[in-house]
Amino acid sequence: MSAHEILTLQFGHYSNYVGAHWWNVQEAGFRYDSPSEINHDVLFREGVTLKNEVTFTPRLLLVDLKGSLKTLPQEGELYSLPSQSAPDQVEIIAQPPEEKNEFQKDIETNATLTKIYDLERQVRVWSDFLYTRFHPRTVNTVQEYQHDNENTPFDIFPLGANLWKKDQFSEDFSDKIRNYIEECNSFQGFHILCDSTDAFAGITVSCLEHLNDDYDTKPVLGFPLVQPSTNPIHLLNLALCFDGFAEHSSLFVPLTSKPPQFNYIAPNPDLKYHTSAILAATLDTLSLNYRLKSAKNTLIDVCSDFATNGRKVATASVCLPFPLKTNEDFIDCLNTWEGHLSQSVTPWCDINPDNSLQLVVLRGIPERRLKKPPNLAEKQRNYPAYRCNDLKEMLSYFIVCTSYGTKSEVTVCGEQMAVKTPFPGFFTERVGNTGDIDGGRSGPVEKINTLAGLHTGKFVGTMLETLSQELEKIKYKKYHQFVSEGVENDQFRECFDRLLDLKDCYEDNYLI
Amino acid sequence: MAISLLNPKAEVARAAQALAVNISAAKGIQDVMKSNLGPKGTMKMLVSGAGDIKITKDGNVLLHEMQIQHPTASLIARASTAQDDMTGDGTTSTVLVIGELLKQADILIGEGLHPRVVTEGFDKARAKTLEILDSIKIAIEINRENLLDVARTSLRTKVHQILANVLADVCVDAVLAIKSKDKPVDLHMVELMEMQHKTETDTTLIKGLVLDHGSRHPDMPKRLKNCYILTCNVSMEYEKSEVNSGFFYKTAEEREKMVQAEREFIEQRVKKVIALKKKLCDGTDKSFVVINQKGIDPMSLDLLAKEGIMALRRAKRRNMERLALACGGIALNHFDDMQESQLGYAGVVYEHVLGENKYTFVEECKIPQSVTILIKGPNKHTLTQIKDAVRDGLRAINNAIEDKALIPGAGAFEVTAHKELMAYKDTVKGKSRLGIGAYAEALLVIPKVLATNSGFDAQDTIVKLQEESRNNKEPIGLDLASGQPINPKDAGIFDNYIVKKQIINSCSVIASNLLLVDEIMRAGMSSLKG
Repeated sequence: MSAHEILTLQFGHYSNYVGAHWWNVQEAGFRYDSPSEINHDVLFREGVTLKNEVTFTPRLLLVDLKGSLKTLPQEGELYSLPSQSAPDQVEIIAQPPEEKNEFQKDIETNATLTKIYDLERQVRVWSDFLYTRFHPRTVNTVQEYQHDNENTPFDIFPLGANLWKKDQFSEDFSDKIRNYIEECNSFQGFHILCDSTDAFAGITVSCLEHLNDDYDTKPVLGFPLVQPSTNPIHLLNLALCFDGFAEHSSLFVPLTSKPPQFNYIAPNPDLKYHTSAILAATLDTLSLNYRLKSAKNTLIDVCSDFATNGRKVATASVCLPFPLKTNEDFIDCLNTWEGHLSQSVTPWCDINPDNSLQLVVLRGIPERRLKKPPNLAEKQRNYPAYRCNDLKEMLSYFIVCTSYGTKSEVTVCGEQMAVKTPFPGFFTERVGNTGDIDGGRSGPVEKINTLAGLHTGKFVGTMLETLSQELEKIKYKKYHQFVSEGVENDQFRECFDRLLDLKDCYEDNYLI
Repeated sequence: MAISLLNPKAEVARAAQALAVNISAAKGIQDVMKSNLGPKGTMKMLVSGAGDIKITKDGNVLLHEMQIQHPTASLIARASTAQDDMTGDGTTSTVLVIGELLKQADILIGEGLHPRVVTEGFDKARAKTLEILDSIKIAIEINRENLLDVARTSLRTKVHQILANVLADVCVDAVLAIKSKDKPVDLHMVELMEMQHKTETDTTLIKGLVLDHGSRHPDMPKRLKNCYILTCNVSMEYEKSEVNSGFFYKTAEEREKMVQAEREFIEQRVKKVIALKKKLCDGTDKSFVVINQKGIDPMSLDLLAKEGIMALRRAKRRNMERLALACGGIALNHFDDMQESQLGYAGVVYEHVLGENKYTFVEECKIPQSVTILIKGPNKHTLTQIKDAVRDGLRAINNAIEDKALIPGAGAFEVTAHKELMAYKDTVKGKSRLGIGAYAEALLVIPKVLATNSGFDAQDTIVKLQEESRNNKEPIGLDLASGQPINPKDAGIFDNYIVKKQIINSCSVIASNLLLVDEIMRAGMSSLKG
C-alpha cells in the first residue's frame, strides 16, 4: 500500500532532543517478524547508498548550531565512503576528537544494548542518546553561531529570520525539502518541531513562509516547544513565533518542556533528556491517528477539523503510561478512573474536556483485555459499559459519559510503545516490564501503554490570554536588540493584537 | 568610571592596554591566515570533533569555520567576510593588511605618536593609494583571454593549480554563454550541480541544464532525442482539499465520490498534455518531455509513461526560469490553449543514476542562455571546496566585466603603491607623514607573504622587486616559480579592480577604528583576555 508521506522539520536544540527520542522510540518499535499496525513509511524513507546498501532513515531535516553535534558527523555514517588521503601541502587543524559515551560505542560495535547506561549523567547533547542513523541530507548546522557560546548568542527572533535571508542557507535548505518531496508519491504534509523562545523561532517562521509559497496545498502541523519562563526576551520571541505559526501553519500545538505531574513516572524536570522523552511519547502516540495502516485520516483532515474559524491553536495531553493494572481489564480501569484521562503538556493550559473537540489515541492495550467473557464477567456485567464490544467504542462511551458537549474521535492501536534504552528509565517501581501496573519488574521497563489527546476549546483561549497578559507587562521598547536586527516596535504591537484576535476565536459564544 | 559604577562586574581595559588587546588580536588572526595567501599558500584541513573534514585555503571559508572567540578578531573577520560577500575575493588580503597596519602603527605609537595622528596619515595614504590604483588599472576588452587570466589568478588562490585551470575555463565559458550584450550578467543563470562521482578535474560545463531528479516511473523513457520541453507549474496530483475532508461530517460514500470527481479533474489536465504530444510528435521523430514545478502522482505518471512522455516533478523554482532561457519556450501556469511556440527544445534529454540520486541532463539546446556547471568529486568535502571556488571564480569574471578593467597581480600593485606613497610622503608636511610611511610599509605585506609562502626570503625578494620597480615604468610583480621580478602583464596575472579598491577602503577604516579605541568594556560576560 502506498504511504502518505510526511516530512518532519526540527529547528533547534530542544526540538532535536524531542526528535531524537521520537525517532528512537519508532525504531525500537519496528517489527521484523510480523506485520505492524503502524505504517512506518509515513515518517521514514527507504534509500540506497552508493554501495547499493538499502537504508531506512527518517524523512527529516533538522537544524542546530555549530558545535552542537559533538560525536555525530554531519553527513551521518550510513553513506560515508572510505576517506581519501589528504592532498599535499596541507596543514591539519583538528579539534580534539569527541569522546563517544558508552552507549554510542556499543551501537558502533553492535553490542546488545541491554546494559543499564547512566545516560542521565552522560547526555550533553541530543546526539549522545540518538539510536537512529540519519540520511546525509538530514543534519544542517548554522555556521554563524556556536552552540552554547555566550559570544555568539542566538537568542532573538530576528537573528534567525536574517539567517534565512542569506541565500546560501535558505537555498540549500529549501532544495533539501524539495528533494525529499520529489521522492514522495503522495506527500501529505509537514510536521514542524521548533524551539520557540530563541532565534530558531525566526528561522522556523521564515521557513513556514517558504512552505506556504511553494507547497501551498500541503498542510503544516506545528509543534512549537515552549520553555515556560518569565524572561521578557523569551516571551517576545514566543509571541513572534506564535504569530508566525498562526499565519502560516495549518494548525499548531504548543508543547511545554516543563512536564506535569504523572503518577507512574518521576522525571527530573530540569533534565532535557527526561522532559523531551515525555513530549516524544506524546507525539508518537498522537500521530498514530494518521500513521496507522488502517488510518482514514491524513494530516489535512486533522488540521482542517481543528482549525475551523481561525482556531489555529490546539493543545495536547498525554497519559504516560496508561495505568492498566495487571489482572485488570480496560473496563475496570475506566470504572475506577478519577480525574481527566490525560495531563496537559501545553503550557499555561488546563484542559477541560467539556465543550471541546478532541482526538484521543489509545495504544498498547489488546482487545482481549477489554472485558471478561460473560460467563466470567461477574461484577463487570453490571457496568453500563459492558455492552461495548471494542476498545474504541468503550473509550468513546467513557468520554461521552464523563464530559459535556464534547466531540471526540478515538483511535486505538494495539501495538505498545517500546521504551527500552535509550528511553529514560524514569518509571516508578510499580510499572511492570510490559507496562502493566503492579505487573512485577525485573530490569528496565520495555513496553508501555499510552494515551494521548489533541484538544481544542475555550481553555486554549485562556492560555492565549495568559500569554497576552504577560506580554502586556513587557516594555518592548527596552529591548533594543530586536530593533537593531530589524523588528520595529509597531510590529510587536500588531503581533500582540493579532494574538488577542486569535484568543477571541475561542470564545464559546463565537460559534453559533 | 561610569560603567563600573553601573555594573561593578564589568571588565574594562583602557588606553594603552586596549590598544594592546586590539593589536594582538589582529596579529593573531593574521598569523593564522598568512600561510594560505596566494597560489603557493598551503591548504588547511579542518577536522571537527566528530571527524567531519573540510579542506580549504579560501580565506572566507576559513574565517567562517574557525571559531573566533576574541571580539576584536571577530570584528576583523566580519569585515573581511563582508569583503567576500561584495566581491568574492580578497578576504585573506584584508586580514593581512589590517594586521600589518596595526603592527606598523604600534611601532609609531610606541615612540609616542598619538593614534589620531597615525589615522590621519592613514587617511591621506588611502586617498593617494586609490589614485594610484586608478592610474595603473588596465582597461580591457571583454574577451575570453582576458577573462581567463583573471579567473585563473583568483582560482589559483583557492584550489590546486591543475584544478584551477580546469575551473577557469569552465567558469569563463559559462559566463560568456549567458552574457548578453549590454545587460548585466545574472550569475543565478549559471546552475551549480554537484555529483559525487569521478574526480574533481572531471568538472565540466553543460550547455543546458542538469536537474537533480529524474522520472519516477519505471516505464518512462530514460533517454530521448529531439525533445519538445514543456515547462509548467501545474499540479498533476490528486490532493485532498480541505473541503472534502472533515471526518465527522461525511459518510464514506460521499467522500469517495468527491475523490472521484477530483481525480477526474486532474486526469483531464494530463489528457491535455497527451493530446498536445500526439498532435506534435506522432508520426515524427520528435519526443516530449514535461518538467513540472508541482507534483505529479503515480496515476498521472502512468498515463504519461504509456504515451512515451518523460515527466519530471517538483523542479526547482529557479529552474523554471533557467529552462526557459536554456531551451526556449515559457513556463505555463495552466494547460488551456497550449501552442507549439510555448514549448522549448533540447536535442537530447537523458537520465543518469548514482545510487539513490538521479540526474536529468537537458542538452544540445539551440542557443542556451542558461548553463550548468557540473561539479564532480570523489567526496563531499571536495565538492564543497570546488563549489566555493566556482562561486568565487564566477564573481571574479563578473567583476572584470563590470569594471571593464584589471589590475596587474602578483604583488605588483602593492610594490608600485609603496614606491609612489614613499614619494608622496615627502610632499606632505607634519607628523601625519609618518602614518603615510607606515601605510606604505603595511601594503608590502602582500608581496612579502607571497614570497615566504613560495619558499623565498621575504627581504631579498622585496629588495629585488623595489630595485626592478625603480628602473621600470611598468608595474613589477613577483614570479612565484623563480622568485624573480616579472611583469605580470606578460605572465597573464591579473586581479580585479573592485577587489583591490575594497581592500584599500575597508582595511584603512577598520584599522583606524581599532587604533582609536581607548577603552574596551565588557559587561555581564565572562573574562576578557588579551
